[in-house]
Amino acid sequence: MYFSDLGVIALYLALGFALFTIVAAVLGVIYQRPMLVESTRRSVLTVTFFMLLAVAALLASFLTHDFGVAYVAEQSSRAMPWYFTAAAFYGGQDGSLLYWAFMLAVFSAIFVFSSRRAPKAMVPYILATLMGIETFFVLVLVSVSNPFARSVVSPADGVGLNPLLMDPGMLLHPPLLLMGFMSFSVPFAFAVAALITGQLNADWLRAIRRWSLASWTIQSAGLLLGAWWAYHVLGWGGYWSWDPVENAALLPWLTMTAFLHSTMVQERRGMLKVWNLFLVIASFALSIFGTFEVRSGVISSVHSFAYSNIGAYYFAFLVIVILFSSGLFAFRFPRLQAEQEFDSVLSREGVFLLNNLLLVGMTFATLWGTVFPLITAFFIKQTETVGPPFYDQVMAPLTVVLIVAMGVGPLLAWRRTSVASLWRNLCVPALMAAACALILPLFGVTNVIANIGFSVCAFTAMAMLYELWRGMRVRHSHGEFYVVALYQLFNRYRRRYGGYIVHLGLVLLVVGIIGSSYFQQQRDSVALNAGQDMTIAGYRLTFLGNINVQDVDKQTEIAQLQIWYDGQLVKYIYPGRVVYNNYPSQPTSLISINTFNAADLYVFLSDWNGSSQATISVFYNPLVPFVWDGGILMIIGGICCWWPERHRTAASQRKRVVAPGSSVSGEKSEKQKVHGGVTV
Amino acid sequence: MQSTMTLSADGRKPARTRKHVPLSFLLAGIAILGAVIYLVYVNTQTNAVYYVTVPELRHCTKCATQAVRVAGIVQAGSIKQNDKAQNVTFVIGDDNQTLQVSYSGVVPDIFRAGVQVVVEGRYSGSGPFQAQTLLAKCPSKFQAATPTVTQ
Repeated sequence: MYFSDLGVIALYLALGFALFTIVAAVLGVIYQRPMLVESTRRSVLTVTFFMLLAVAALLASFLTHDFGVAYVAEQSSRAMPWYFTAAAFYGGQDGSLLYWAFMLAVFSAIFVFSSRRAPKAMVPYILATLMGIETFFVLVLVSVSNPFARSVVSPADGVGLNPLLMDPGMLLHPPLLLMGFMSFSVPFAFAVAALITGQLNADWLRAIRRWSLASWTIQSAGLLLGAWWAYHVLGWGGYWSWDPVENAALLPWLTMTAFLHSTMVQERRGMLKVWNLFLVIASFALSIFGTFEVRSGVISSVHSFAYSNIGAYYFAFLVIVILFSSGLFAFRFPRLQAEQEFDSVLSREGVFLLNNLLLVGMTFATLWGTVFPLITAFFIKQTETVGPPFYDQVMAPLTVVLIVAMGVGPLLAWRRTSVASLWRNLCVPALMAAACALILPLFGVTNVIANIGFSVCAFTAMAMLYELWRGMRVRHSHGEFYVVALYQLFNRYRRRYGGYIVHLGLVLLVVGIIGSSYFQQQRDSVALNAGQDMTIAGYRLTFLGNINVQDVDKQTEIAQLQIWYDGQLVKYIYPGRVVYNNYPSQPTSLISINTFNAADLYVFLSDWNGSSQATISVFYNPLVPFVWDGGILMIIGGICCWWPERHRTAASQRKRVVAPGSSVSGEKSEKQKVHGGVTV
Repeated sequence: MQSTMTLSADGRKPARTRKHVPLSFLLAGIAILGAVIYLVYVNTQTNAVYYVTVPELRHCTKCATQAVRVAGIVQAGSIKQNDKAQNVTFVIGDDNQTLQVSYSGVVPDIFRAGVQVVVEGRYSGSGPFQAQTLLAKCPSKFQAATPTVTQ
């Protein structure tokens, strides 16, 4: 018996227990059998166990080089180091599906253990929904996309992982992004349960707050790592190209971001119920749509995946999800009335609503651009596509408005804010932004659009830092040191201040995007001989020669160059190419990225000839490091919001009633309460 | 945002006569939605390009006046690097129709004969296709090395 046989058996058992969970949960609730409902918790854990077993079986097949398993032979070879052999697990479609199904089982198990906090009546439906999704994936795994399928003849060695995947990014980006996609299932399961049970108040939202924050943070990390990977491997000097595959990952992230904001409106004021449900369901549907789109090959992408009839399965599943959710919506629509009304657009909920419209607008634009080839092929019988300029030109103005809203929003009170008090909070940041707009041209920012972008970012960053400063100052006046005051603010109002970190991170990221898209320089050399040089942005690159390194499984060609700046030798760099023996037509690049003063010098060996001739492409990418810093800050902020609050004593509980970030019923919140210097 | 809201959210039946949305909300919402639709519409108009295969390009009447994207497979032995003019010429095609392409710029890593590429540019109807961009389909990520494309 092979490990792969064990894997197949584990998959079938997991399928059986998943189906049992659905039936037992639904019947248990209908016929009111608490024992049956209770048994579903155990059966979910059993599913998790068998998925773990299946994963272990595939991992064992990889690590023991069992090339009789077709998937193992396709994805790995003996020459690969053990960590890439293990990572080859999710290098192909079958394995990534297994990984997805496994993570869903793990998340379901985490839910089982934390389900005491969820509304009790919803739990069986949540488990049933999660297992419904799990059933779909396991069904696909045992039918069309079985990673354990054995070939008749077992080859002596495998083909090996695609060279582009032999990269540290491989160890982190796919598992995070797949986990992010998968994690939208949990909020979706809650939404379904809330619709079925009719408990549509803010309870279910509170229960999924941390789940949705986790989803958002994981997806953010996945997107960021994808961008970083593309930047340091693909050699075109950029990190985002609006390819359908990238869009697929961005779409659910956008709707989840919208949801994280609008959920606060419902928790606080009981409004936007339909909208919140829609966003949660849309996030899940978009994550399934994204997978469908990239797998089915209906949309042409620069990435080509192994197309298979799996697309049809996903499409069917997507249709089921949409029909099922719409049906539930129609069924529960009468109960989805808002409890309160909007008062003024100049209020916290007003800005949240505008932010939601912007984010959904961005989602729509991205989706439109992505499916545009399908729309045109269907309606005018002529396929047309839109490229990156479309996305850039649509997204840029929307992002600018979004960032302004981000700066203004936290300064507004719930219900309504007077213009006078808003101005009191905003005049400092507004003046700073104006100063920024005037100063920037002196530093060479002559492009008006870039200047507007930078100034808007300065405005929002200042507004948030000013807000933070005021909070610290008030606590300081009560006798706390500034550092302690800052710590206490984050400790007590974690969600609020974590949100500020995310916002600051986004501002930094946008600054990086503006910098790299408006001020990028590029030089492509002619074939340089040893000793010749080229210049870019004040840097002089001198080519010295090529080094050839032979390995068992690959050949590496490395060019040696010097970077000179201002008459000084700054450093030696070694951009190169690697050609794996199994993939002679797919050289991968070793790109030399050198960061000087918040700008990257991105050096790429485009061609070489013998040991003394090379063609070099150099990009000068200002502010790209800010993209990574900002992204990391967003993830830190997300974790900060997500981080569990400590259980408080009764005394501090009482205090929290008046604290910002805790609930104040609508009528009371009209007055601006000041606590810790933060206006509520 | 803990307990106080739960009571008001759950128990109370809203006694409202009709839905009332302030005018300022409607105006702001319409402004944003209008802006989104306007941006999408205008930029679709300016950025949409035809996506055709080589035989379709031959029969395309409007392709002379606007940029098009042409997909095809790079034909064996057709790639010619021209170092003086800093460009590369090659032939793409599918089945029996082929198209001469001229391109200057950075050539993707995996650009080789037999690779599927997408070129974007203008085509006057005669002479080589002047490509502004050249995208090679990277058989990336999840593609198996042994071609499994069965379309």
